[in-house]
Amino acid sequence: MNTDNQFRVLAIEDELPIRRFLQTILEPEFNLHLAEGGHAGLAAAATTKPDVILLDLGLPDLDGIEVIKRIREWSAVPIIVVSVREREDDKVTALDAGADDYISKPFGVNELQARIRAALRRTLQQTPEPVFSSDELMVDLSNRRVTCHGEEIPLTPTEYDILRLLVTHAGKVLTHSQILKEVWGIAYLEQPHVLRVNISNLRRKIEVDPSRPKHIITEPGVGYRLKTI
Amino acid sequence: MKISRSFSGYVGAVTLVVLASLLCEAVRPSLAPTNMVMLYLLAVVLAAARLGLRPAILTAFLSVLAFDFLFVPPRFSLRVSDTEYLVTFFALFVVGVVISSLVSQIREKVEQVERQEARTSSLYYLTRDLTVAVDIQAIVVALQQAVLRTFSSRLTVVLDHVSFSEAIDNDKFIPLDNNSSIIAHWVIQSGRRAGKGTSAHSDSPFIFVPIKVGSQTVGVMVIEECEATLTENFQLIEAFAGQAAMALERVHLTIQAEEARILRQKNHLEQALLNSISHDLRTPLVTISGVLDSLLNDDLKYDSNKRWAMLSTASEEATRLNRFVGSLLDMTRLEAGVLSPRLIDCDVDEIIGCAIGAVEQRLGTHQIMTSLEPNLPLVPADLALLTQALVNVLDNAIKHSPQTEDITLSVRSDGTSVVITVCDCGSGVPSGEESRIFDKFHRISVPETVGGTGLGLSIAKGIIEAHKGKITASNRVQGGLMVEVILPATAPDTLIQGN
Repeated sequence: MNTDNQFRVLAIEDELPIRRFLQTILEPEFNLHLAEGGHAGLAAAATTKPDVILLDLGLPDLDGIEVIKRIREWSAVPIIVVSVREREDDKVTALDAGADDYISKPFGVNELQARIRAALRRTLQQTPEPVFSSDELMVDLSNRRVTCHGEEIPLTPTEYDILRLLVTHAGKVLTHSQILKEVWGIAYLEQPHVLRVNISNLRRKIEVDPSRPKHIITEPGVGYRLKTI
Repeated sequence: MKISRSFSGYVGAVTLVVLASLLCEAVRPSLAPTNMVMLYLLAVVLAAARLGLRPAILTAFLSVLAFDFLFVPPRFSLRVSDTEYLVTFFALFVVGVVISSLVSQIREKVEQVERQEARTSSLYYLTRDLTVAVDIQAIVVALQQAVLRTFSSRLTVVLDHVSFSEAIDNDKFIPLDNNSSIIAHWVIQSGRRAGKGTSAHSDSPFIFVPIKVGSQTVGVMVIEECEATLTENFQLIEAFAGQAAMALERVHLTIQAEEARILRQKNHLEQALLNSISHDLRTPLVTISGVLDSLLNDDLKYDSNKRWAMLSTASEEATRLNRFVGSLLDMTRLEAGVLSPRLIDCDVDEIIGCAIGAVEQRLGTHQIMTSLEPNLPLVPADLALLTQALVNVLDNAIKHSPQTEDITLSVRSDGTSVVITVCDCGSGVPSGEESRIFDKFHRISVPETVGGTGLGLSIAKGIIEAHKGKITASNRVQGGLMVEVILPATAPDTLIQGN
């Protein structure tokens, strides 16, 4: 089999059973490299130039967050955190450090594969699709037009900025501080209520039932995610 | 103080004699000198009643002199022409002295009774205060008040190992210096009193009285010297110490009883935990390992349908196991106090949306009907934790609802709080067990198919209470269970700022 045509996935994971399991489920589709610890993982990331990195946060030799930070010093490769730590703080720390996605153990095979594909899709489209559509919602970035069921929806500049940010990272969780920093600037990091109010208004405009949102999904304690189909 | 008091007594005595003499002079024309003695006797009685024994005797003596000098002929000389008057002088003096001593004895008795009365009542007040004291601090405060009331002195109590002076921040306690602390510990060790007016450490400005329970000294009362000489009142102070010892003993026993009760309860819980864990962890494992073993050994024996059925059961059980482990972790975190909510003002819409989104996959044939009042106030909440709590409540409703029956979720507000109500159409709970369903590992007797951990609602309760909210359950009239979550709302003025 020509491995050059396959995407390279680097899994940094210290537990042998999980490495074996990852091998079983990922090998047929991806070119998988395994690293047992943080230092080995950093070395492997430099030599194998992976397209996606799967990272366990609880490594024995180096904290996972530190691994993310060091990789981010020289590479923008998508990092998917795979961890048993399911507390929101850990997720936020990992995402703010530069991780792209987060998946909790135990995870479903399909879910993991889907997340890897989504991460790959995002890196492949260097310039994002100018038009995003999901069910009745359409966001045309090139014309700054947002429509729902074909009807144009008037948005304030801030609301549009938030929606544009979510669209360009569709499917990915953005933490509160990431959105605040991008839309309002670093001075607003401690003002989560401005984000809450704007998200609430945005939902009222684009969601059918704002209390059961179908597009802008809240990840409790972490941030927001725009749902893709 | 003492000197000036007796001095004023003697001045009073002289005054009384002068007054009696002036009175005698006024009535001299119509009264024989012998009868004037009666007026002097009156002065002696008054002196005895008001001024005490010694001034009264002085009054008697001065009366004899004044009577002799002023009224007995020859006047203005101490000489006596008629020797009969010597008998009068003698009688006046003796009667005066006898009356003085009798009256002053009565007076002393009255004073003694008054002192006794004061002691009894201060002891009574102390006993009354100590009876209602529930902890050591309250006992110390009661003692301080008693000492302040009775002797106008300040007090500090040093207990074995712990000094409670720090705990009470008012001007009633004495800050202890190093030396006093050393004496206090000596008293605890020796069980003897020390300080001013005693045989040990008498150079200290304080008096140290041991508080004894049986033969063991558990603490020391340190009292400041004050107006009333404390050394005279050692008996009373020791009575205080006795009362304090009894109160300390009582509080100590209460604490022990409470600890024993908690320990019993904990043992009971731990037993329940072990039972539950062994049941809930093993049951799914039986299925999972059973399926895996069968497939590993006799893979060919099963056709693909059967294999699929076995594997999907195993997968379901694995999911259940995962959720149980998650619940156990939540419970442990909640009990260890790690799950402290970080409260941020949240939209109720968003909370409900998150909770429903999280249970959507488990809904099956059920539907959740929501009705939210418009313009709900914000709720200070830790979104992740509160979502978890509502998910647990919704899960419980889903588990106990007959298929195809809807679950209703409604939210209303009275401005100061937000009430989230979740209703199902299940069988409800046996009456009387409404509050027990929030107990750990409490599961109402339902068919085995309704697999629960018995932890979900108690976790929900823990989280809601950490939000200063309340969660209650009641049976609905039309059947089914209604769970009500009441959360405090953010005050409206902060809401404006939020916009």
